[in-house]
Formats: sequence, C-alpha cells, structure tokens
Amino acid sequence: MTDLLRTTLGAAAIAGLAATSLSAQETVVWWDFLGGGDGVRMKQLIEDFNAAHQSEIAVDATTLEWGVPFYTKVQTSVAVGEAPDIMTYHASRIPLAVDQNLLSEITPEDWATMGLGQGDYAEATWDAVSVDGKQYAVPLDTHPIVLYYNKDLLAAAGRLNDDGTPMGMDSREGFTQTLQALKDSGVTFPLGSVTADGTFMFRTIYSLVGQQDGELMTDGEFLAGDNAEKLTNALGVLAEWTEAGLQSTYTDYPATVALFTSGEAAMMINGVWEVPTMVDLEKDGKLFSWGAVELPVIFDHASTYADSHAFAIPNGNDMSPEKRAAVLEVMGWISQNSLFWATAGHIPAYGPVTQSDEYAKMEPNATYSSLTSNMIFDPKTPLAGVAGPIYDVMSTYFVPTLNGEMDPAEAVEEIKAELNDL
Amino acid sequence: MIRDAKKEWLIALTLIAPFAAIYGLVFVYPTIDMFLLSFTDAPLIGAGDYVGLENYTRLTSDRRFDTAVWNTAWFVVLSVIPGTFVALGIALAVSRLSGRLQTAVLALFFLPYILPVSVIYLIWDWTLNFQFGIAMHIFDALGIDRIPVFKSATWFIPAVALITVWWTCGFNVLLFLAGLRAIPQEIYEAAALDNAGRWKTFSRVTWPLLWPITALNFTIQLILQMKIFDQVYLFSQGGRPNDNLVMVYYIFQRAFQNNHGGRAAAVAVVLFFIVIVVSVLNFQLMRFAERKQ
Repeated sequence: MTDLLRTTLGAAAIAGLAATSLSAQETVVWWDFLGGGDGVRMKQLIEDFNAAHQSEIAVDATTLEWGVPFYTKVQTSVAVGEAPDIMTYHASRIPLAVDQNLLSEITPEDWATMGLGQGDYAEATWDAVSVDGKQYAVPLDTHPIVLYYNKDLLAAAGRLNDDGTPMGMDSREGFTQTLQALKDSGVTFPLGSVTADGTFMFRTIYSLVGQQDGELMTDGEFLAGDNAEKLTNALGVLAEWTEAGLQSTYTDYPATVALFTSGEAAMMINGVWEVPTMVDLEKDGKLFSWGAVELPVIFDHASTYADSHAFAIPNGNDMSPEKRAAVLEVMGWISQNSLFWATAGHIPAYGPVTQSDEYAKMEPNATYSSLTSNMIFDPKTPLAGVAGPIYDVMSTYFVPTLNGEMDPAEAVEEIKAELNDL
Repeated sequence: MIRDAKKEWLIALTLIAPFAAIYGLVFVYPTIDMFLLSFTDAPLIGAGDYVGLENYTRLTSDRRFDTAVWNTAWFVVLSVIPGTFVALGIALAVSRLSGRLQTAVLALFFLPYILPVSVIYLIWDWTLNFQFGIAMHIFDALGIDRIPVFKSATWFIPAVALITVWWTCGFNVLLFLAGLRAIPQEIYEAAALDNAGRWKTFSRVTWPLLWPITALNFTIQLILQMKIFDQVYLFSQGGRPNDNLVMVYYIFQRAFQNNHGGRAAAVAVVLFFIVIVVSVLNFQLMRFAERKQ
C-alpha cells in the first residue's frame, strides 16, 4: 500500500514538474486533412519538429476529413473564433477563402522571420498562394499528376525505350500507337483511367487544355473564345481512346489503382501521392518493375495540372506575438525539412530542397520533378478548387463523355452554359 | 373539492415550459430565420443584404433546381409505392408463420434496417461496382452487358430507390405486422364460415381493416423520402452529381459548396412547402379513400 502511495506521489510530482516546464512552451493547434500515406509521413515530420523544439513549441495535431467537410469546419470555426493556429490548405481554395475572409495574410515581415521568400518557390506556385499581390499561405508542396507505367508490359509490347521510359511521349499519334501496341500484345486496358470520377479526370483534361494554351476562365467568363474548342479537343482525345477500347471505362479511383497494380492496366494517369503505394508494394516484392514520368505531350507543348498543399493561418484568432512566432517557426521549419515529405510523392515547394543532391537521388521523384516548370494551377476564382462547384459541373459532363455516352462538343456546350450560370 | 385554477395553470405551464423552450430554440427560431435568410444574399455564415424575391425568381430558370425537383419526385414514386407494397407482402407472408421461425424470418428482413447508411453504401458499391462488383460477374456469366449503375443518369435514381426499399422496408413490415395482429380473429372465422376464399378474405377483411396502417406507412415514407439525401450524396461522389441532384442535395451544394446561404434557404423554403402541401394532400386523399370503403 505504501509502495503504491509512494509511486502515486512520485508520479504526481513528476507531472507537476512537467506542467511547470510546459507553461513556458507554446502549444500550436494544427489541423490537416492528410489521411492517407502522406498523413503518416506528416505525423513523422511533426514528431521530428516537436523533438527539435522540446520545451519551446509543441504541435498539437488533428487530422480531419478531406474535402468539403474540412473546409466547412474551417469556415464555422473561424466564425466562432475557435479556429486552429495553423492548418493545411489547398492553393486552389485560396481565392474562395480570401473571399470569405478566412485567412490571415502572410506579411513580408513574416516571410523574413521564417527565412523564406519568393525566390525559393516556382513562379506558378508563388502565384497560386497570392491574391492581389498578397500571400495567404506558405506552399509546402506541389502535387501534379504523372503517368505511371508498367515496364514489363511495355517491353513485351516493344514500346519501351532503352532508358526505361515509354515510347511515343511526344505526340498524340505516338502515344496512341503505344496504347494500340499494348492492346495488340494482349493487355486488357492499355491505359487505366479514372473514368467514373469526373472530378478526378478534371486534372488530366485541364492539363490537355493547358497543352494548347487554353484557359478555363478569362476576365470572369468561362471558356470564352476558342477555349471551348480546346476543351472539346481535350475531351475528344480521351473519348477516342475509349472508343478504340484503349482505356478502362466507368472505373473509379480505387479500381483504377487496383487495375494498374494487378497488371491489368499497363499505364495509369494519377497523382504523385500514389508513389508510396508503388514503393511499398515493390519493397514487398508484390509489384512489377514500374516508373513514373511527366504526362505525354498530346498537343503543342508539355503542361501538367497541379495543386499545392500549403500552410495557412486562420483569421480571427486572438494570437499573441509569441504564438504567431511559434506558428511561423513551424511553417518555416517544416518547409526547410520537407525532403522527407518528398517520400510521400509530392514535390516539395521549397526550391533549395528540390535542388539538393539528396533529392536528385530520389526515384522516381527526380524524373518527374522536371515538370515543375510546366505546371498550371486552377483558375483564380472563388468557384474553383478541390471539391468546389466547378468540379461538380465538370464531373457531371465528363463522365458520360469519357465513356462514350455523349459527344464532346455537346458536353462542352452544356459545361459552358452551367459554368456561366454559377 | 375546490380547484385552484390559477395554480393548475401554473403547474401546467411549468411542465410544458422546458419542452416549449427547446422547441422554440431548435425548431421555431431556425425556421423563422430560414425564411428571413431566403430574402437575403447571405453567404453560408454571416449576414447578407436584403434582395427581395430574387432568390425565388431565379429558381424558375435554374436548371439544377429543375433536375433536383424531378429527381426527388421520381425517387418518391419509385421508393414510396413499391416500399409500401413490398412491406405489405412480406408482412402477410411472415404473419402466416409462427413461433421461433416467424421471429427468425422477421429478424432477417429487419436486419438491413439497423445498418448505417455508410455501410449500405459500401455493400452496394461492392455489389454494383463496374469493374469489380460481384453483380457484374453474374452479368458476365449471363451474357448481359455490364451496366455502370451509379454512373448512368437512367439507372441512378431507380437503383438508389431499390436500395432504399431494401434497406428500410424492415421497419414498415413491423408496422404492418402490428396492424395485422390487431385484426380480430373472429372476423376471419366468420369469413371462413361464409366460405370466403383467400382473395375475398384479403380484399374484404384484411385490406380495409389494415387501411389506417397502410395510410400511416405511406405518409411516413412520403415525408421521409422527399428529404432524401444521404444515399444520393454517397453514391454520387465523383460521378455525375449534377445529374443526380435531389432537393436536399441541392440545398447542401448551394450552401456548403457555393457559399450561397440565402439561395440555399430559398430552396429549403420551397421544399418545406412542398412537404407540407404533399402531406396534407396525402392525408386528405387517404381519408377520402377510407370513407369510400
């Protein structure tokens, strides 16, 4: 009994000590939406941060549901002054967030405090977090889509270059030829496409529009001028592949990944965040020899859609200068240590990291990181962004078009009418 | 005994006060607020400026609103009527069983009802997924072309209605069973003595005496299904959301995705009135039908 008492007293004393040392420490409340393989890696980064800042700053992190639920919660929490101190945000959602007055500006002094600046980021990335010349978030990464491919199947079809990349990446004819060769060699689906999910296909289609220098929105009008035609062209290519039986139809996201990893689909256009899936499977010896490269050039020049995970500070919190300094320290430290984040597939936004020798040795990241110079982001409007209204309109017409139910030109007419209705 | 009317009033008031307060706070106040909101251009959170009837007038040329209204109506037709008759059929069959067997069969029919909607979604996605669904392999074996059920505008609402009937009919079966048990056995005995056949017994005894339950069942489902949201939202994810819109989904889209609180409130007000009008109409119709019998 006395033993028990002594232990309890001892524990209480230690707890008391811990509490006093804790009081000098800033707790930073953190919200993110990183639930997948990248979430595991972010938790590791946070742990490393906490270890490096013991008794100074402690990050108290919570992971919430991605998409509309996350952004709705942010909005309500800002309204009642219960927002976190720091949160992850999609660059594509920043115009809407600024419109709703949700984000606190990252001032030039803040950038100086963090030791970061415009020069550390790609132009498109810096622009994606800026509204009217002011920055509202610190970019952590860019996450474009890439072309994953099965080297074994491509080699069997005779369409693999000596350097291990697929043939026909520079033209529409060339790429279609590669798909056809795969089909002829007995592959069920030469290209695994998320044809059941129009919001996902938006990324591919928008890239193809970008390859023709097309824009979704000009001067507040959707698909003005020949932009509608460019969207029709982009949809036309994909519809043609469906008609020729070269890509999977009505396939949703998990099914697409399953088709690719099981070898039923020889190639797949998907986000870089699937890199950990492949790496892990390969490590267990459950995957063929694979690679990932920048999207093929179907039209005039290379162009890839990307979004960016960024850190933002919510508005309306009564933040002490010490707290704000702690938050800036978190954002700065994680940006500078984001090499580990690259193992989640994402391309770190902080330039010095991607220019480092360690990064150059990471595969397949180093192969596809060249696309950073060809990135395009969502149009800057409160209607854009992941899980936003533009996504829903697009999805509704992309799905029938990509599966051969609707003519591309007709779909574009409908999309244009609905977008301008928003 | 002398009654103190004043005191009785006071007691009565004290007893209903908690209910009235909560009812006022969580129902009456938000409802009034919704009406007021529908005349403004408010975002999801915060106040807006008065815009008169604009939110209502623009609904007349709003294509998504049209889709939502027709889809909701189609869904109600496909779920309420079959739902009621399927439940009646099952209840009639189950009532012929007895003892443990009856309990076991009833439990089987009731089981889906206790599942949450997310589980329902997963089960049916596994079944009807275009690439990997179990049902698709059966289609292949029978030589029928695969159907992308949840990605096609034609099949979406009928499929969700079917799933909803499967999911919820257990509860309706219970209601019908209770109704069937309330019919006195003597009437059936009398009918049997009069040489009434099975169909005569059903049409002259069971059906009229069960009518109040049928009407109740019908009304409950009507109101419930007009407010359909969960299933439609889950099955539309990433597919063709704007083709599959139903009223509550449209309200959600307007408010949470487009940040248009005022316009969402206007749609909500319209739904509110549709539900009231349809349920009153339904109630009157049912009464009329009862009197005719």
